[in-house]
Amino acid sequence: MLHQATQRDARAAILATLGTTLGVALLPAGSYLAYLVVWLGVVTVGAAAGIAPLTLARRGFIALPFVLAAAPLIFIRADELIWSGVLGPLSLSVSGAGLRIFLSAAIKSWISVQVALVLLHRYPIESIVGSLRALKLPDALATGAGLTIRYLDLLRGEAIRMLRARASRSASPVGVGGERIGGSISWRAKVTGNLAGALFLRAYARAGRVEEAATARGASGSLSLGALRNPDPRFALKSLLALAALVVTMAIGAAAPRF
Amino acid sequence: MYPTLHIPDGFLAPQVALAAWIATSVVVGISLRRLNATGRDTSSLTILMGISGAFIFAAQMFNFPVAAGTSGHLLGGVLAGFLLGPWAGTLVMTTVIGIQALLFQDGGLLALGANAFNMGVIGTLGGTLVARGLAATLGGSRAATAFSIGVAAWLSVMAAAGLTTLQLGLSGTTDVSIGLPVMLGTHALIGIGEALISVAALSFIAISAPDLYSSSSSAPAASPARRLVSGIGIAAAIAALASLFASASPDGLMKVAEQLGLLEQSRAPTFELFPGYTVPGLDGPASTAVAGVVGIAAVAALLFALGKFASRRNGA
Repeated sequence: MLHQATQRDARAAILATLGTTLGVALLPAGSYLAYLVVWLGVVTVGAAAGIAPLTLARRGFIALPFVLAAAPLIFIRADELIWSGVLGPLSLSVSGAGLRIFLSAAIKSWISVQVALVLLHRYPIESIVGSLRALKLPDALATGAGLTIRYLDLLRGEAIRMLRARASRSASPVGVGGERIGGSISWRAKVTGNLAGALFLRAYARAGRVEEAATARGASGSLSLGALRNPDPRFALKSLLALAALVVTMAIGAAAPRF
Repeated sequence: MYPTLHIPDGFLAPQVALAAWIATSVVVGISLRRLNATGRDTSSLTILMGISGAFIFAAQMFNFPVAAGTSGHLLGGVLAGFLLGPWAGTLVMTTVIGIQALLFQDGGLLALGANAFNMGVIGTLGGTLVARGLAATLGGSRAATAFSIGVAAWLSVMAAAGLTTLQLGLSGTTDVSIGLPVMLGTHALIGIGEALISVAALSFIAISAPDLYSSSSSAPAASPARRLVSGIGIAAAIAALASLFASASPDGLMKVAEQLGLLEQSRAPTFELFPGYTVPGLDGPASTAVAGVVGIAAVAALLFALGKFASRRNGA
């Protein structure tokens, strides 16, 4: 057995994260007060885990570009019109219902990212993968995820070196003086594809060496990479907290007024 | 700029997210079973899958400029599926999408089922099966395989973009009539980058590691009937996707004819099977898509009949 044991049991935290995220998703559209209460709860937990609320809030904006998907609803929906007028050549109207969907999706997305960030800040990714395995994630997926994370930096380093080599051999997008260098689009695509192919061959060779090393050390059968060594004896009790997070979030959503 | 394919939480209705989770779980379960049934050493395959996941992450850093301000980069679904096999490739892409959500918040945790379905299941499993089916249909030569991978890579990006928009539409967080053309239009270009890089990567591997390439591309030979069915299916999928871009505006020739007054002089045919590339009784893009699929089927049937006729003439 190839064994990379992780020390911290994140099972209850993972369940609490999923419970809170589900609770946020179930909050009705326009429950802005509920969103505020839930967000205050999230930043409180975050602060207890050592993340400043403003840092957490700022990092939560990572999914912000996706709100563009909901933006057309503000101008397309014809119900609950709150403004209509002419802006230059454009005749525009703003729908209250569309605006509510847009803001609700944006705020829910923002809070959900912060919930996930608190989990990631509190537990190393290896502990999360090990805990997911303990939560019955299939072995092939858990070990695959563990190996992906372990070799991520190594292959990224290879990719960065290959990109640097490409930049110094004329296939770079833009030259030092800002001029375009390199060949046609298809030529640049070919060079990029060559890099990807070369990197796959290195990854393939690396996989062969890892297998040889594992065999040499007596590994056989399943590779339980990322196994949880010290399961928390209070897991069941803590899991109730996950359920409580979901119930409390839903209760806040039911009680809070909607706009 | 329009959103990427990684849906964050908050944009999918819980019912849609749950349905996608169930669909993804079923396919992942089937993939795991199929992987165990291959008879290959699962631990060595798991190691290869894990490091291939890291490869996909790293390979996504390779980009190249397409036009001002836009660049193409690899998503890698069809490439992974072709090199590792459709089932292992699906598991690798699902794992990568999961890590992207957990580690980089690129996509939500509740939306993970949908993201994995769009890019891991449809993009990788579907794309690889299309690539293999099309390659077998075209005879299985290296050129045919490269062409098939290019088509499948483009289709995988388009299918993922279309599904993402439809899921958002079902959740009520986007307007499909606006979102679908924008997403498909944007990703038609991104898909070309994906196709070019995938083909170049596999061509490089075919030259540098012919044994590895041969073992990857040696899918079981398809029967002529299966080739025909898969060929028609692929053509129908392309026709249905392409028809979504069909413009309601007159094309260039018609516009010139209209300006010269030739259009009024022309006479309408006495009978039209699909007037204006639509099916009578059906409205909107669905009508154009159905007309496209029926058209492809008719052409395929004609070609099949001609092929039969030619082989009979050969035998005579």
